[in-house]
Amino acid sequence: MLLNAELYVRDLPGQLVGSLEPISMVDGNIIGVVHDRERNINQRIMVSVTFEVANSKKLEELKAIWKSRDIIISKMGSVYQTCTREFMMVGKFNATYIENLIEEASTIVNLESTDVGYSSKNQSSDKRTAMITAEVRCKEDLDKLDEFFADACHRDNMLYIRGL
Amino acid sequence: MVKLFISGFGTVGQGLAEVLKIRRDFFQERYGEQPVVVGVIDSKTYAVNPDGLDTDAIIARKMGTRTVGDGKYTDSVEVMDSVDYDILIEVSPTDIKTGGTGLKNITHALECGKDVITVNKGPLALKFQDLTELAKKNGCKLRFEGSVGGAMPIINLCHENLIGEHIRSIRGIFNGTCNYILSKMDKGQTFEQALKEAQQLGYAETDPTNDVEGYDAATKVVILANSVFHRNVTFSDVKITGITGITPDAIAQAAAHDMVIRLIGEISDNRLEVAPRLIPVGHPLSITGTLNIAQIDADLAGPITINGRGAGRIETASAILSDLVAIMDARY
Repeated sequence: MLLNAELYVRDLPGQLVGSLEPISMVDGNIIGVVHDRERNINQRIMVSVTFEVANSKKLEELKAIWKSRDIIISKMGSVYQTCTREFMMVGKFNATYIENLIEEASTIVNLESTDVGYSSKNQSSDKRTAMITAEVRCKEDLDKLDEFFADACHRDNMLYIRGL
Repeated sequence: MVKLFISGFGTVGQGLAEVLKIRRDFFQERYGEQPVVVGVIDSKTYAVNPDGLDTDAIIARKMGTRTVGDGKYTDSVEVMDSVDYDILIEVSPTDIKTGGTGLKNITHALECGKDVITVNKGPLALKFQDLTELAKKNGCKLRFEGSVGGAMPIINLCHENLIGEHIRSIRGIFNGTCNYILSKMDKGQTFEQALKEAQQLGYAETDPTNDVEGYDAATKVVILANSVFHRNVTFSDVKITGITGITPDAIAQAAAHDMVIRLIGEISDNRLEVAPRLIPVGHPLSITGTLNIAQIDADLAGPITINGRGAGRIETASAILSDLVAIMDARY
C-alpha cells in the first residue's frame, strides 16, 4: 500500500526521526518526507511522509505506534501513480467528434484527466490535428485507450499517432 | 582459401570488394590468407575465375560499361554452379513482393551446402523460416547483419552479446529516408519539399513508396521479429502506417508539446508495427537526419541504445565484413 500521512510532532529535537522510525519498525518503506516548520500549530510542526507498508494490519500497527509516541495523524490517504500518454489524430473532424470520442473512452477506462489541443483550420488543407493528453491509473488502461483510439481512427479514416 | 561468390555488383557489392581490399592485412594476420572472389554477377552479366577475380578491374569495368564480364546469363543459378565457391554474398536489389533473384540464389546456395551472407531484405522478410530451416538442415550458416540498420550492429548484438537476455522489445528508426524527411519537416518544410530534397540528395528513390509508406521499415521489423524474437511472421503480419499523411500542423502540434514525430518500428511478443509516433525531444529516438537507431529493452541489461548509418556503400559492406569474419572464424 502506498500512502501519504500528514503528522504533527512536538517541536523538539529528535521528534522528526521519532515519527519516521515506526515506518521501519513495521517493515515499511519511506518514499518521501517533507518537514514543514512553517506549519506550526500548538508547538507542533507538520511532517508529510509518503510511505509503503505491506497491508492494512501493518498500517494499523504503525498508527498505534505513532499514537503511543504522541504523534498526531491529521490526514492520511492512498497515493496512486498515474500514467500519461499523448495521442494525436489527423483528419477531418470537429471538436464535438473528439469530445464524444473522449466521453466514449471514459466508459472503457478510468480517465484521471484529459487535455485536448487542436490545430486551427488552415486554408491549404481541410484536415486538422487534435492532440489528446490522457492520464490514467495503469499501463493496461493506456493500452486499452490506445486500442480504442486506433480503432476509431481506422474506422473514420484518420491518421493516428500515439506517444511512446 | 575461402572463395566468395558475389551476387549483385551495385553499390554494396562494389563496396564489399573495396572493403576486402582495405582489410587485406587484417585477413592475412588473422587467417594467414585472403578470401578470394571467384564469381560475380550483376543483373545480366557475370565473371568467374576459380583462381580469383581482379575486383578492381571489375569495378572499373562496371563503372565504364555497366557490366561485370563478357558472359551473359539467363539463369543465375547456372553461373553459381559453374564455379566452386564457399560463401555466397547476396547483395542484389531487393524485391519485397516475391523475393526475386535474391531468394532464388540464397535458396540454391543453401541447398548446395554453401554458407550465405546477405543484406537482401526481401527474401528474409518473405521466407525467413524456410531459409533458416534449410540452412540448419544442410549445416550452413546464414548471416544477415547488414539487412537491418546497415552498419548498426543490431542482429549480431542480440544473437551474440545479449544471448542470455530475454529481449522484451525493440523500438527503432529503421528507415533513414523517412527520418530525413521528418527531420526536415521539423524545420518547417512540407512533406513534398522534404521528399524532393531527399531525392535530390540521393536519400530517396525516384519512386519513394517503399520508404515513405513504411514498407522498407516493415521488412526490417519482420527480420528482427523472426531472428531475435523467434517468431514466425511475414511481411503481411506487420501493421504498417507510413508518413505521407503527416501534415505541417501535426508537426507543429507535436513541437508545441516539446515532441517530434518519427517513424518507429516496434517488435515485441505482442506487437509488430511500423507507425509514426510522438517522441519527446531529447529522447534517443528523436534522432535527426538519415541515421538509424534502435532501443533494445532486455530483462537483465535494461534499455540498450545503438545507432549508426543505415545505408551506404562502405557502411553496409562493414556489416557484411562482420558476418564474413564470423564465418571464417568458425572455419579456421
